[in-house]
Amino acid sequence: MRPLTEDRLRTVLAWVVIVLIGGPVLGAVLLGVLHGDSPCILCWAERTGMILIALTGLFVVRYGPRPRYLGLAVLLGVWGVYMSLRHSGLHAARDVGQGFSTPIFGVHTYVWALVIYVIALTVIGVLLLFVREIAPVEGAREPGKAGRFAMGLFVVVVAANALQAFASTGPPPWFGQGDPVRLSLNPKHWVWSFEELEPYHISLRGSWTIPRPDAAAADPDPAHGPLAGLPVIAVSGWERIGVPLNGAVSGFARDSATGRFLVTTDRYGVYVLDSSLSRAVHHVVMDPGFSVDLSPLEGAAFLGDTLAVLADNKSWALLLPSVAAASDSEWRHFLVSDGHVGEVGIGRFQTVRAHQMYVRSLAFDPSAQELITVSVPNARHRQLVVSRFARGDMTVSSEFEPWLGAALSLGPQRALADYLVTGAAVAGGRLYAISAAYSTLLVIDPQAKTVTAAYAVPGLAHPVGLAARGPQLLVAQADGRIALLPRPSPSP
Amino acid sequence: MEFLNFFIIVCAAWLLWRRPERERLAFTLLVIGCCLMALCFFIGSHGSLVPGVNL
Repeated sequence: MRPLTEDRLRTVLAWVVIVLIGGPVLGAVLLGVLHGDSPCILCWAERTGMILIALTGLFVVRYGPRPRYLGLAVLLGVWGVYMSLRHSGLHAARDVGQGFSTPIFGVHTYVWALVIYVIALTVIGVLLLFVREIAPVEGAREPGKAGRFAMGLFVVVVAANALQAFASTGPPPWFGQGDPVRLSLNPKHWVWSFEELEPYHISLRGSWTIPRPDAAAADPDPAHGPLAGLPVIAVSGWERIGVPLNGAVSGFARDSATGRFLVTTDRYGVYVLDSSLSRAVHHVVMDPGFSVDLSPLEGAAFLGDTLAVLADNKSWALLLPSVAAASDSEWRHFLVSDGHVGEVGIGRFQTVRAHQMYVRSLAFDPSAQELITVSVPNARHRQLVVSRFARGDMTVSSEFEPWLGAALSLGPQRALADYLVTGAAVAGGRLYAISAAYSTLLVIDPQAKTVTAAYAVPGLAHPVGLAARGPQLLVAQADGRIALLPRPSPSP
Repeated sequence: MEFLNFFIIVCAAWLLWRRPERERLAFTLLVIGCCLMALCFFIGSHGSLVPGVNL
């Protein structure tokens, strides 16, 4: 193939500008005029980026391929790819068929923007690949027919965009809108707003940043809690895990059938302990970095013979103690294994109400065959959500924010979301949840979706798990000590 | 603000077309247009560099 001379490059570029401006940019204006389509503030920026790439092309048509034009064109292309990816990311993971505005040929406009920017970058690369080295020449060149047409078309189309922007977004200082109204030529229907100028800070995830909950930093004093005048349950005794663990306790459960305990640690250790907490029956260390991200483990539950462990990001693994488990075949799942545990499932809970909320607890309701988590509220989502997942397919079956029972009252400006539940267990048809914040035991009636009672439990330090043993509740602390509480009888 | 940006871009294109000797001014307008476009996008994305996805 012959190299591109400067004249040919300028002609080709003029046609590239014509295609870019006469295609997607003019098409977007026509969509507005003919169908009332009005871009959101992000679409406006993406459309403007295309126009700026075209303008950079016209600079080359007029003055030749100077390095700063080429550099700016590449930067604009990269920025455009980022913008369209950032914009598509808002909607790409929604349910099937969902999106923003009307799709064109089955694809929404923000995804088309990505396609166009990738094509623009590709064209820039191909042209640079074939262009002959050109000595810099000062001054402007007279554009050819295609160049003149490109310039005229550019001015007309961008002026049309300016008119559409005036009607849709208004003159400065008004901005585009996240949820624009359809385009109208009737000024009575124009909506100009500053709705996008809300307070924000620049960060990787902006207002989506959800900090990981720190139970150790929670205020343990029940007197400071949101529920006023709670009755007190005194710790009736203490036990201690007598097995050396590979880290601090992070999850705790008890199997009512065998009396065995399940303990997880902050270093991915999973231990099955005998009923006296003094002997490890089984022991593995999960590989958290392979496949599903299981860091950090925060919950544990017995599902009959199967062991369930849960990370705070709602990822789970199911383990089965079995003499048939071969160390070699399980090497991929465990960093350390006693050779008698196999992994039988791994996945992630998907939630709706508890979306973008971490969890620090896991319980199992054998009568309903459902696993239960209680969300940890955060600054973005101030809710305490109980999520239930069917054991059969590990899919959410119901979620609710519990009501407050008639006997309970919240202090001013307080909410159940002030609690930080780090352990949960089901017993006697009730869900018990222990909160590291304000050392409070919540009793939840899953049928009535109501917190029926709450108790202050002074003397706890960093509780991380909860289990039921007959008339007792066992609160596991991170330090391996187990507080024994009398299990409150269900309120009527 | 989008209207202002298109106005700036039209001015740059007009200089390019009718006053090619004002290259420096036209290029300055082009760069201003780029900055204004980026600012509008940042405002529209509320300062979040990535959408509500996991990193």
